Amino acid sequence: MADSTQAAAAPKPSSSVKLVLLGEAAVGKSSLVLRFVNNDFQPNKEPTIGAAFLTQKTHLPTRTIKFEIWDTAGQERFASLAPMYYRNAQAALVVYDVTRASSLGKARHWVAELQRQASPGIVVCLVGNKVDLAEGDDGPDAEEEEGADGEEDGQGEAAAAAAVKPAAVKPAADEGAVRKVSTKEAKAYAEEEGLLFFETSAKSGLNVSEVFTAIANAIPEASLKGGRAGANAAAGAGTQAAIMAGADSSKVNLNAKAGGDKGQEGCAC
Amino acid sequence: MDTLDKTEWDVIIAGTGLLQSLLALSLSRSGKQILHLDHNTYYGGHEAALSLSEAEEWAEKHAGDPPAGARSCFAQASVTKTAEGDANGSKLGFSRAYSLALAPQLIYARSNLLPALVSSRTHNQLDFQAVGSWFVVNGATEEGGQPRILRVPSGREDVFGDDSLDLRAKRSLMKFMRFVASYDEESEEARWAEIKNMALGHALRSKFGLNSDAAITPLLALALVEGNSADLTVEFTVPRIARHFRSIGMFGPGFSAVLPKWGGLAEIAQVACRACAVGGGVYVLGKGIRTATASADAKYEVELSDGEVVTTTWLTGCPDDLPSAAPPSTTSSPSKTQIVNRAIYIISSSLDSLFPPTSEGGPVPAGAVVRVDTGTAGGEAVNVLAHSSDSGECPSGQCVLYTSSMGSKESQDNAIQYLIRSVNEQPEPHVPWKLQYQQYISYPFDAEAATTSNIICLPPLSADIVLGDEVLDAVQHVWQQTTGVPADSFMKFVARGEESVEEQDTM
Repeated sequence: MADSTQAAAAPKPSSSVKLVLLGEAAVGKSSLVLRFVNNDFQPNKEPTIGAAFLTQKTHLPTRTIKFEIWDTAGQERFASLAPMYYRNAQAALVVYDVTRASSLGKARHWVAELQRQASPGIVVCLVGNKVDLAEGDDGPDAEEEEGADGEEDGQGEAAAAAAVKPAAVKPAADEGAVRKVSTKEAKAYAEEEGLLFFETSAKSGLNVSEVFTAIANAIPEASLKGGRAGANAAAGAGTQAAIMAGADSSKVNLNAKAGGDKGQEGCAC
Repeated sequence: MDTLDKTEWDVIIAGTGLLQSLLALSLSRSGKQILHLDHNTYYGGHEAALSLSEAEEWAEKHAGDPPAGARSCFAQASVTKTAEGDANGSKLGFSRAYSLALAPQLIYARSNLLPALVSSRTHNQLDFQAVGSWFVVNGATEEGGQPRILRVPSGREDVFGDDSLDLRAKRSLMKFMRFVASYDEESEEARWAEIKNMALGHALRSKFGLNSDAAITPLLALALVEGNSADLTVEFTVPRIARHFRSIGMFGPGFSAVLPKWGGLAEIAQVACRACAVGGGVYVLGKGIRTATASADAKYEVELSDGEVVTTTWLTGCPDDLPSAAPPSTTSSPSKTQIVNRAIYIISSSLDSLFPPTSEGGPVPAGAVVRVDTGTAGGEAVNVLAHSSDSGECPSGQCVLYTSSMGSKESQDNAIQYLIRSVNEQPEPHVPWKLQYQQYISYPFDAEAATTSNIICLPPLSADIVLGDEVLDAVQHVWQQTTGVPADSFMKFVARGEESVEEQDTM
């Protein structure tokens, strides 16, 4: 209760979290993010053939987390964007498709890669997407989603290889769209590796916001703060103050131009 | 499409060093089809940031002499480790707790790069931190004496508050600082003509009445020059001192320069590459360029290191990312090769006294500069860049010191020892890990000769500890050539919608 009172009195501290989206082509990475971003905001579409960058805020009781989401969409085939994307990332979303066993294998590959190369302390969340296909009986076309336009549908494997709009691609291998990865198997793997774990449906929205809230909650406060000054503040005045004081204590604001001209006169003697 | 074979591009950029990456950023909204390659399996090229194990791997790779004909490269690299868990009990952190910068250059607030990062909307992806204080350490003490460390006064108030200067020296110093502030204005034209070719020390004594060495050394520190005042002209040093003073207060009180968090210029290079990727650029690591041959339609057929052949209108990169035969004209101009000794030292203490707050309410500095006079003949001095753990380059409780100088690696080792002793911490901090290497840089770089064809050679980044404005100028030059659009639109982009959703086409 003390926390919420405090939060009401002062503006909630806001922190940016860099999140990278990884997984095999066509597992629904972009759809997940579209679903997450659309929850609060009207999409402002800008077509691109490259990677994508999106932002979205998650409000926690004591702070606001602004996710900066980096999607390697379209370039998985060269495996060269991911290292740049997960550098200094605080969170990673590793997505597989519950109707495709191979996609969990690829997810394991990404988890291993993150453990080997990414920032220590990165929060990794394993997400099995497309549970609507596994539980419903309406077949592989069901993943088609109104928010994610279906202009490129029906391109099968070729489209999947080029990572075109994952949600629009039919799972190539299965006719009946049945679950190929059991919840139990994936969950056991996630527990073994210390990952957050969710099964989601980008189509229905099931668990999508929960994924991001869980990640936001799991980000260690230390990685939201600015280091020494933040730590000092924490010693004296509690976590809240530490985040407030620490978040930007060493950061220089390049937009602080107004003070600049004055400063020049003042200091150049 | 897992292969690049037979693909066609407007621009192929070879190497992901700072210049190539800034070029990629500048072209990211041009609508051009861009292929950005690096023969390394990591980003950043000569400006990369490395974890401890990556740095050790890197050192092994660059342990030998430079390859014959190389125009810009590293050599003679070696890592020295002291036994872990020694008497002082200090240990190295794990490998990825480090992000050691091959390019730790500081960026003055008045650098042309910072406004370009802002206008290209990339600055939001970057954290800049303040380089707060400048220090001088005098190692030339009597036998066994404690080297002294003094903070350099960086403004009017500092000068008045400095107990080491007498009133007369303070007055002279103020007079000189006023001159520095306006040396290039019309009012100082006559005086500038009179003294610009004088040695700095001589000019300070005869024209400003500044007799005390104690007042001159700090000025050399601010100028970030290596030699002593007897060798350096007013014309060379004063603009460098002015660069410091004119940058103070630009982005906040009490500091003149910034550093990018997480490993120096590598971070800027990566953010620039990300912007180009979002704009549609295709990125492939682990692929270099073998040959480039002119083909029909004023295009080039470029053979990649794995034998794939692609076609492009433009090909650009730093000297050693391009096929050695291209561009043919660079070799015709006489050039010297500069050999710079560089080193990265991990220190077992955070050396907090190097990073004091420089103003109330200003940012906590993560960087500092120390000019260490090693006391050897000729007044040799080594400039040391210090980065605290706030920079994200090392775990807390440690810091990283960078040196880059024409002097020997022994003189750099000495400088680090003097610096460590001068802060007088108990137990005395030590160096659990260091990387020493040489950088070969060909200069002068002849941009005109290098750009007579559609294969454009970008200049290598200099080893100066300050990032110079010529870097962005060179990038702009290439951008202008490849796009032909008006210069005033360089690096000026509208915001991609904050909450925008971007979708990809088929390729």
